[in-house]
Amino acid sequence: MNVPVASGAAVYFDGVTSARHDVLVVLKPAGLQISSHDGRPLGEWPYGELEELSAPDNLLRLGRLNSTVLERLEISDTDFAAEIDARADLVDRTGTLQRRQRLNVIAWSIGATASLLLVAWFGVPAIAERLTPLLPVAVERRLGNAVDMQIRAMLDPRHSGASFDCGKTETEVPGRAALEKIVRRLEAAAALPLALRTEVVRRDEANAIALPGGQVYVFRGLIDKASNADEVAGVIAHEIGHIAHRDGTKAMLQGAGLSFLFGMLLGDFVGGGAVVIAAKTVLQSSYTREAETSADAYGAGLMNKAGGDARALAVMLDKIGGATEPGMKILMDHPETKARVAAINKLAAAHAPSAFLDPAEWSALKKICGS
Amino acid sequence: MSLDGGGIATGGGVRFLGQRRAYWRLLIRGAALLMLTLGIYRFWLATDVRRFLWSNTEIAGEPLEYTGTALELLLGFLIAIAILIPVYAGIFLAALDLGTIGKLSGVAGFAALAFLGQYAIYRARRYRLTRTIFRGLRFHQQGSAWVFAFRAVAWWAVTALTFGLAYPFQVTSLERYKMRHTYYGDLAGRFDASALRLLLRGFLMWILVIGPLAFAVVVFVSTIDWVALVDVLAQGGDDMMSKIEGSNPNLGGAIVVGMLMSGISVTMAALLYPAFQTVVLRWWSSGLRFGAIEVQSRLRMRNVYGAYARFVGYAILFSMAMGIIAAIALGVIGAAASIGKMGTAGEIAATLAALIGYVIAALGYSTIYRATVLLSLWQLGMESLQLSGLSALEQVTATGQPSSAIGEGLADALNVGSY
Repeated sequence: MNVPVASGAAVYFDGVTSARHDVLVVLKPAGLQISSHDGRPLGEWPYGELEELSAPDNLLRLGRLNSTVLERLEISDTDFAAEIDARADLVDRTGTLQRRQRLNVIAWSIGATASLLLVAWFGVPAIAERLTPLLPVAVERRLGNAVDMQIRAMLDPRHSGASFDCGKTETEVPGRAALEKIVRRLEAAAALPLALRTEVVRRDEANAIALPGGQVYVFRGLIDKASNADEVAGVIAHEIGHIAHRDGTKAMLQGAGLSFLFGMLLGDFVGGGAVVIAAKTVLQSSYTREAETSADAYGAGLMNKAGGDARALAVMLDKIGGATEPGMKILMDHPETKARVAAINKLAAAHAPSAFLDPAEWSALKKICGS
Repeated sequence: MSLDGGGIATGGGVRFLGQRRAYWRLLIRGAALLMLTLGIYRFWLATDVRRFLWSNTEIAGEPLEYTGTALELLLGFLIAIAILIPVYAGIFLAALDLGTIGKLSGVAGFAALAFLGQYAIYRARRYRLTRTIFRGLRFHQQGSAWVFAFRAVAWWAVTALTFGLAYPFQVTSLERYKMRHTYYGDLAGRFDASALRLLLRGFLMWILVIGPLAFAVVVFVSTIDWVALVDVLAQGGDDMMSKIEGSNPNLGGAIVVGMLMSGISVTMAALLYPAFQTVVLRWWSSGLRFGAIEVQSRLRMRNVYGAYARFVGYAILFSMAMGIIAAIALGVIGAAASIGKMGTAGEIAATLAALIGYVIAALGYSTIYRATVLLSLWQLGMESLQLSGLSALEQVTATGQPSSAIGEGLADALNVGSY
């Protein structure tokens, strides 16, 4: 038979001094009555005000709810603790209350994560898209100069400086003039709000890049691989597309947005860094895939407008892209070459194209970086 | 009323009652939820860990109490974000500037963040102390976090410049500042350890770690013909390496010596680290004072090595388990790829699997480390304490107010947090 425990021993701290009091606790109908062993009353705690506090498993530690004084009552007798538990709503030794709270937290955290990913996927590119046109050209040019310093340092590991650019020496100047002719024709058709600066640089890859603020670098490898001037012009038209769309600036804004979303709000647990980097890589390559597709369309349109052959861009892409096809699609920053070529060819105008350079000028351009 | 708690008679007055099994359970569940919530659960896990450690630590028969909550930590983190966003934005904008400001922005940003990190450490300590209740009274901390941050950054610079030799003086100075401003109720703390003593205890270890490196530097300086080397570097050109070898025939030997010595130095550092931790922890604990209460630590080195050995054992078991799982996963992916059924969905699945595997591995090692080394250090550190003058506990009066968790939030956002 279980005899109800009506009173028990406890340790009491009054929250004012550190002195330890051995006390007697009596279970009254409305609350706990605390008194010292010689019968001196030390207080009455209503059951509704009892708060269970963090303590070792074998101890029930009670405080008073919303009290600024840190009064503490500690009961180590399990049966007596169970009696109090049964009377006080907020004392819950089974932990059901706490578990329910935790489940709430977990559910909302997962919700927050999902919402974060949605914002990263749809929100960040949309915001960058709307924000970029608001940026004045002067700011973009400044940005471009900062990027230019870093890019040049990366492309030109020997720091050879001026001689890294082609078209400077006497034998190279005719090539430079030929390049200018292509760029001027495209620029006239494009009517950009800023001036283009185009350089051919001594890099062996068949590639070209556009920086914010109107700087275009064409790599020597591209000119070596091209079989006529229109192919070079096509790639430059594609790069002008990036500049017209201000993709460099957009990418920087997107990168900053993603870094902020993932780096600040999440992360900071062991292994979290990898999640952040992986998420950023996948998302950024999806952004750039879109940018490439629309730069292709712009490039094709510009070639049409300038009276050139838009198909030349497709031919050049096919040449460059063939070698770099394998790899994971979700990590690739360019769309599949086949799809790009087909899309460009569809856009090509039916008019008879006029060549960008005559054969003499083309052979000069071929020698823009020396023989 | 007298001190009649049985705890004082047993041992030195400090006992740890926590069950390892319960701590493992807490950490493993926490790690799983960290992964599921991409880290947001960390505030709840940190609070659970502190509750466990505090409430299972019994001083003079009375367990400590941790009253902090996860929501306070979350709020502190949000405030920290609000403070840090303009700082990060400022650094980002300054980096775009071309002139001297742009070049200096990296250094200035690093310095600002280091400074803020130390500030956060001091404020976080204040939060933890004011959430620590013992016998119905709270601890608290005064002093200026800015002053502390300034002192800490200056001392770190000195320690770095002396290759660690100034470390004992750094710890002493910083601990003095912290403890001088720490109170239990109205009982003031202080730090009474001698830096010279720590220096003497650690000097041999310092020699064993730094010595090989110093030797390598001496070998380098004496064997290399610097004039010839500078000439070659100034000339540049494609065959620079062969020219360097021609002008400095002993360079290869010097490089071998350098790599060997660096290897010895790193090995020494790894092997001696538990010993170093023991020496510092024992020295530090023995310097703690609260009024008439004095602390003496009898921490044993072999126990600390034991904790690390347990860590290595569990880590090896865990690695083997992960290795088997990875092998199976690779087999499945390889089979799928060879049949040619790897579409975009397959790629995403494979990437996700690799990512989750990495996160599980990282969280696993960190959980093992916390459950072995960190828990043991807490338990051994506490149980090896001998307290004297405990009768002072009878007349302490309450003072101090709880402080905000902003320091914790900053420490979390800047990655300088602990427990």
